[in-house]
Amino acid sequence: MISLLDLGLGLAVLAVTGLSLIPRSRLVISMGFLVLGVLVAIVWLRLNSLDVALAEAAIGTGLLSGLMVWLAVRSPVPPGAGGMESSPRLPWLRPVLGLISGTALTVVAAAVWMRAEHQLPAWREPAETQLPASGVEHQITGVLLAFRAYDTLLESGILMLTAAAVLALSRNGGLSGEGTRQLGIHQIDSPMPPVPSALAWAARMLAPALVLLGLWLLFAGSTDSGGAFQSGAVLAAALIMLRSAQVDISVFTAHWLRPLLVGGVVVFVLAGLLGPVLGLPWLSWEPEWAFAAVLSVEVLLTAGITTGLYTLFLTLENPEGVR
Amino acid sequence: MTLAQFSLGALALVPLLGAALTMVLPHPARRALGVVTSLLIAGLTVPVMISVISGELPELVLGGFEAPLGIHLRGDGLAAVFLGVTSLVGVTITGYAAVLPKSTGTYLSSTAWVPGHPGFWPLWLGCWSGLNAVYLSGDLFNLYVSLELVGLTAVALVALGGRSSWEPALRYLFIAVLGSLMFLAGVGLLVSVTGTLDLQQTRGELEGLEDPTLPLLALTLMTVGLAMKVALLPMHRWLVPAHSAAPSAVSPILSGLVIKAAMVVMLRCWLWAVPVLQGSEWLAWMLGALGAAGVLIGSVLALRQDRLKPLVAYSTVAQIGYWFLAFPLLLPGENDAAQLASGAYGGVVAMAVGHAIAKAGLFTAAGFLKDRCGTDEMSALRGAGAHHPVLILAMGMCAVGLLGLPISLGFSGKWQLATAAVAAEHWWVILVVAAGTLLSAAYMLRGIAPLLLQAEIAEDAPAASPVSVRERVGEIAVLVLGVATICTGLLGAGLSDLLEVGSWW
Repeated sequence: MISLLDLGLGLAVLAVTGLSLIPRSRLVISMGFLVLGVLVAIVWLRLNSLDVALAEAAIGTGLLSGLMVWLAVRSPVPPGAGGMESSPRLPWLRPVLGLISGTALTVVAAAVWMRAEHQLPAWREPAETQLPASGVEHQITGVLLAFRAYDTLLESGILMLTAAAVLALSRNGGLSGEGTRQLGIHQIDSPMPPVPSALAWAARMLAPALVLLGLWLLFAGSTDSGGAFQSGAVLAAALIMLRSAQVDISVFTAHWLRPLLVGGVVVFVLAGLLGPVLGLPWLSWEPEWAFAAVLSVEVLLTAGITTGLYTLFLTLENPEGVR
Repeated sequence: MTLAQFSLGALALVPLLGAALTMVLPHPARRALGVVTSLLIAGLTVPVMISVISGELPELVLGGFEAPLGIHLRGDGLAAVFLGVTSLVGVTITGYAAVLPKSTGTYLSSTAWVPGHPGFWPLWLGCWSGLNAVYLSGDLFNLYVSLELVGLTAVALVALGGRSSWEPALRYLFIAVLGSLMFLAGVGLLVSVTGTLDLQQTRGELEGLEDPTLPLLALTLMTVGLAMKVALLPMHRWLVPAHSAAPSAVSPILSGLVIKAAMVVMLRCWLWAVPVLQGSEWLAWMLGALGAAGVLIGSVLALRQDRLKPLVAYSTVAQIGYWFLAFPLLLPGENDAAQLASGAYGGVVAMAVGHAIAKAGLFTAAGFLKDRCGTDEMSALRGAGAHHPVLILAMGMCAVGLLGLPISLGFSGKWQLATAAVAAEHWWVILVVAAGTLLSAAYMLRGIAPLLLQAEIAEDAPAASPVSVRERVGEIAVLVLGVATICTGLLGAGLSDLLEVGSWW
């Protein structure tokens, strides 16, 4: 049942988790986290969940590690005054308490989990029978954009509003600059740290490949694994690499960031409104035009996710100036 | 599709659309669109309320995919009550923020910190969308997503208060995310034994289950996670800095509405999703004990504050305690259990709704004074009442609601809770309610009395500067909430009838 490979993977995940939690250097932590992400993606592959593995690799590992490496380069040592200092009188107390409660929780949860009689999800059968009416062929895309489209819509709303929060905390509060129609946030003008010329060259080489991969993931999503979230993550990675390599994309940011950010959500809500207009419930797609609706929503949603994730990367610049 | 069914979907999606559109607009247009959207939401609430009051249970199957495959939105009594109160408070606060833009926070321009934050509008409309989605959701995973929408926008709204609010906001973010993850873990456990995410189907499956340990573990995880987000006593430390550092228009939203969303999910879990489990008594009793501690300790801490906004924030911690006092009463006893539980449940909802209106009013007033005088030190606010008689009157009405004096929903809630406690012979509940009422009278007096004292205000003090027309209109918003605190008290009996629609018994 349990192969040696799985056992080794499990142990490696535990070891790397320790590696990304214990050291004091942010660079080591970031590297540990990067490796952890790769391992977790492999675990998902072993569990036959290609979609989750793709999402994990693109968002969980790729983008999050990008943010962490950036932070580690800008300020390598974590702030010392935080609550992580051991208490001077009983330095062993906190680790021991943590260990005991962690063990107790794990043992209780595992015991309960083992004892329970598990059931397979009851939505498997209806998902298969109703898939032809949803306009897509891949089941996971069907869940995301037809069966549970409402959840996906709220989630893309969350990403959009996270970006709204980033813009609000930027200089000018996400408004256009004085007397212009361009986004006036400070990150557009702030200089990037110098990078080795090889990296800049590599970024320019890799960017078209990443864009191609992103688009392939997007259009593959209707028949195979992939979709808006994974594709958006890859495209955002391309943008981040271009910016890190000092390629000037400020025109894109100034003019297109906000419209692209909201476009996906706006079109998704309007497509959802088509149902009530035709006398159907919210978010219903008729089989005749379901494919067209799902595809246009997905394309714009990908653009929204790309810009949303890229905006999160912009938050790393301190609005009060680099200190 | 009926109008009520249309409104169920629109209540969550229209504010989200509004939030998206405000993001691309300049600041004055954002304010206008915000006000229009708020009126639209209030209008959409009406068909749902009418339908529920007439005893129907509007239900929308999104996309036409029945559960367990799809998501159901259900407008039951609980949802209707909270939709109504959210519309009332939401429209009032939206108007207040549109009239007094500086109450929405400060942002950094290219040169200096400027009052009046444009980021308030998308974030607040997004938060409202999440609130409505939480009330209407009939699906466990969708509850999680909606709660995330509320929590994330609430954190960002706190951070609009400028540099000093970033740290409380970050702390709030950690708590909110941790709480959500625990809730999600509980949902995952439940799905593994039920195979469905729908609330009603989950209950049906769990009732047929012999071994209650896994649902009990799931309920414990969800309860602890949600208690963090509600700020039940030992997990309350994040609330006071976050709610008092937030901008004036944000604090009433946070204290009045955002914590209610987590409370509604708590009620949905305990009363709808999970049937009465063997062994859940200790959990209910622990919540009751923490609630009692919250009422007493929160009130004492409120008494010890020297600034107005932290005082009001600690009063929220105390009021949260009352809602949890009722949890031991929600369990089945030996005699007429159902009636007793419904009484206690009605009491909890009445107190939460009363608190939403009264606390929104009081926090708006406290923020108004802070914006005007530049500080909320109570010693510096002495005599401020001379310039703002309407504001003080409104604050007094809100205080009546928070104390639980007749006629207010706070009173009918406490009355229902006490009646249920007497019937179940839990005398200690009466003691806690009485002690909490006395203590809250003390801290309300401590907060409001200095405003009424005669004091020599220096000619150049900010409190002495002439009151602008906009500020007078802002005072009206507080007055509306004060009057609503008293008037909703008359609806106490209607509230119990409304809650019976689609209830779990």
